[in-house]
Amino acid sequence: MKKILLATTLILPLAAPAMADGSLNIYAWADSISPELIETFSEETGITVNVDSFSSNEDALTKLQAGSSGYDLVTPSQHFVKIMVDEGLLEDIDANEMAAYGQLDDRWTGQWWDPENDYSIPMAYGTAGFAVNRDLYDGPVDSWSVIFEPTDLAGSIAMLSYPDEVVSAAQLYTGVAYCSEDRAEMKKVFDLLMAQKPDVAAYTSDNIENRLGSGEVAAHFWWDGNVLRLRNSGANVEFAMPKEGLVGWLDSYVVPAGASNVDNAKAFIDFMSEVDNATAQYNYYAHSAPVEIDESKAKYTPENAPELFPTVPVVFARACSPAAQDLVTKVWTDLLQ
Amino acid sequence: MSKAFRFWGLVPAWALMLLTLIVPILIVAAVSVAERGAYGGFTWGFDLTSYRQILFTEGWTDELEFDPAYLIIIGRTLAYAAGATLISLLLALPVSYFISLQSARMKLILVYLVTLPFWVSMIVRVYAWLIILGNDGLAERAFRLFGGWDVPGFLFTPGAMLTGMVYSYIPLMILPVYASVEKLDPALIEASHDLYGSRWTAMRRVILPLASPGLMAGSILVFVPCLGTVLEPMLLGGGKQLMMGTLIQNQFGGARNWPFGSAIAMLLLAMVIGVLILNARRALARQTEVAP
Repeated sequence: MKKILLATTLILPLAAPAMADGSLNIYAWADSISPELIETFSEETGITVNVDSFSSNEDALTKLQAGSSGYDLVTPSQHFVKIMVDEGLLEDIDANEMAAYGQLDDRWTGQWWDPENDYSIPMAYGTAGFAVNRDLYDGPVDSWSVIFEPTDLAGSIAMLSYPDEVVSAAQLYTGVAYCSEDRAEMKKVFDLLMAQKPDVAAYTSDNIENRLGSGEVAAHFWWDGNVLRLRNSGANVEFAMPKEGLVGWLDSYVVPAGASNVDNAKAFIDFMSEVDNATAQYNYYAHSAPVEIDESKAKYTPENAPELFPTVPVVFARACSPAAQDLVTKVWTDLLQ
Repeated sequence: MSKAFRFWGLVPAWALMLLTLIVPILIVAAVSVAERGAYGGFTWGFDLTSYRQILFTEGWTDELEFDPAYLIIIGRTLAYAAGATLISLLLALPVSYFISLQSARMKLILVYLVTLPFWVSMIVRVYAWLIILGNDGLAERAFRLFGGWDVPGFLFTPGAMLTGMVYSYIPLMILPVYASVEKLDPALIEASHDLYGSRWTAMRRVILPLASPGLMAGSILVFVPCLGTVLEPMLLGGGKQLMMGTLIQNQFGGARNWPFGSAIAMLLLAMVIGVLILNARRALARQTEVAP
């Protein structure tokens, strides 16, 4: 009996991938893809779609590096697409021959993270900055100094729990280049964050809506479209436009190397990039669309969604060399030691 | 039962242990001496850099220098785990004693209630504390209502983190302590009073020694998971101070240094094994003490 039990236990994990036919496993940013579109896609094609979510690029990278993640479609940001391509973690899907490619705004083709457009189709873009709760704070929000060298906001600030965006923003503020390998320069970034630390209530990337919306903190490091969504749900929040610039990001659809449902993944990308669907996705996700959308049906305009139309420079995060990445890590570890 | 049956009967258990416990630990050990990949990941090899990094790192001036950062994190983890264990112990003793005094039926209900939280996901339970400890949360209101104190948010403080740790693991303390307290013979306490022992003496000389196996077992059950705790420091402590659990997590995420993460994990494992060995030796010493 025990042997039979054991045999069953050993076989069970082997049985799971066999169901892969006719399915699509997506690994995307939390709440980033319209559930209604996924439902429509399933109905039209008969493909079963499973969605798992991540809350940082690092998580997505780690999952892919660990191998056989089981995912067919992932949506990392530009600098992580570059790393994944360099590390051989992505499937060459001939993106430039896909229907979705034709829908793309020219601005987003032939970029440094995928110069030949072999691996990725952009999905959404936007900025990382910070937002304030206007019920608690009525001062200016025109500079990163408001949050990095706080006076009124001291003790009521939350930052993300990962260094990626936070260190980039601190670099914008201190004028240190992204991916600097210069220790003295990065020391400046560290000193800034260390001086800010006593005024920070928490370093956390989860549950931001509640924390900022409920007024647990008055200012939170966050993304443009998320602030927009929270504001539209009734919270009195404002996304800052710091004159030093915002940290830019662009998420793309990519297919992990060795994925078992490549065709389904490509079909989904094409589906999401059709004008009507892209418009619905834009209205749901509230982040800017890199593909053509139907302006007449688009919910967000510069008038009602200033978050999505920044008036300050946007500087896109880059893929750092290992040496530069080590310095970023050192800033973070020394900060939180 | 034949010898062969005893051997083959145990094979599934051994195989399961080997596959799910021993092999993964060996993999972690191998990764800890591997060479780190440029963007996370690793290549097999033998390199002790990761272990060196626990004590020495390249400072802001480019030179290899002694860096207490990780020792501080390890020390802090030990201190918080010990603190949580001590608080659990102090709370669990009276609770267990109280339960042991109830009727058989009541005992059953109370012990069931102690285990009840385990039916709910850990994350949900920790999130519940966010609401209790948050701004204008239950804790604040209670203080205002009963004490008249207007205390600002408890959330994102070391106290909040410790509260979460004690709350999460205290059932693991109560159950073994209760098991040993329940077996306590009231006649022995009575006897100590008859011999002019005060309440305190009875506690110190009779109850504690007899309950000590439960106290030891409970302490280990609480201390060990507290060493590796991740949720409470992140959600309740506000992630402002790294603990070993969060440090390890960071190495596989943001820091992209798998070998170093594995090295810290091995250190954590060594610490846990150390505690267990220490305890086993104490138990052994006690046995030989009692035996003759």
